[in-house]
Amino acid sequence: MLLFRSEETVNAWCAARNIPRRPLVNLEQLWQLAVHWYANRLTVESRRPAPDEMVSIFASLGLTGPFWDPKKVDG
Amino acid sequence: MPDRDLDTKVKLAIYEITAETGRVPNSSAVSEKIAVDEREVVAAFGRLHVKRLLLPEPGDPTRIRMAPPFSGIPTPFPVEANGKQYYANCVWDAYGIAAALHCDAFSRASDGRTGEPLTIEIRNGQPVLQPYVAHFAVPAAHWWDDLIFT
Repeated sequence: MLLFRSEETVNAWCAARNIPRRPLVNLEQLWQLAVHWYANRLTVESRRPAPDEMVSIFASLGLTGPFWDPKKVDG
Repeated sequence: MPDRDLDTKVKLAIYEITAETGRVPNSSAVSEKIAVDEREVVAAFGRLHVKRLLLPEPGDPTRIRMAPPFSGIPTPFPVEANGKQYYANCVWDAYGIAAALHCDAFSRASDGRTGEPLTIEIRNGQPVLQPYVAHFAVPAAHWWDDLIFT
């Protein structure tokens, strides 16, 4: 995923590549995702969140729907 | 220290070396650190890939392309933290390096469309908020289909 100054530059980037606009995440949400994913990454017990855990994490940040469901292959 | 399985030893060595040096190690460096035959380390890289904890370099199983949130190669997301420079795989991982190292960090990133410099920063454990946005081009179910693209 890429960083953009604004929604407008996202739209221009998608239009230039003829790809669909997908969900946007703000910096506060992104930081919370980073903490959930990586805060224990340097520890013995670290692991990637399981699919159901991912759904819960995304939902806690307001990120819902098929796009955010790792089990929905048509997301 | 309790006995740990080889994959855990390899995983910890990868992250310890990366945190200390700013560079993701290859199998030789990990082998030397934990005193395990390099062939066993390469095999562990493969198992950690299956667990989605790292991505070997395509075509070279002795090297690591991604040990998320760290990148094994320079990227447009350099991260300065603890007096070192790291490379993140994406903007999420730029924050992820601060989260993993539990320290402040900043990254001189850029706008994906215009290339305009966009600095993002973690200060005192919190993001310095800007009106920037991250665009997720790939649905969660497909992130590991082509992780380099994602």
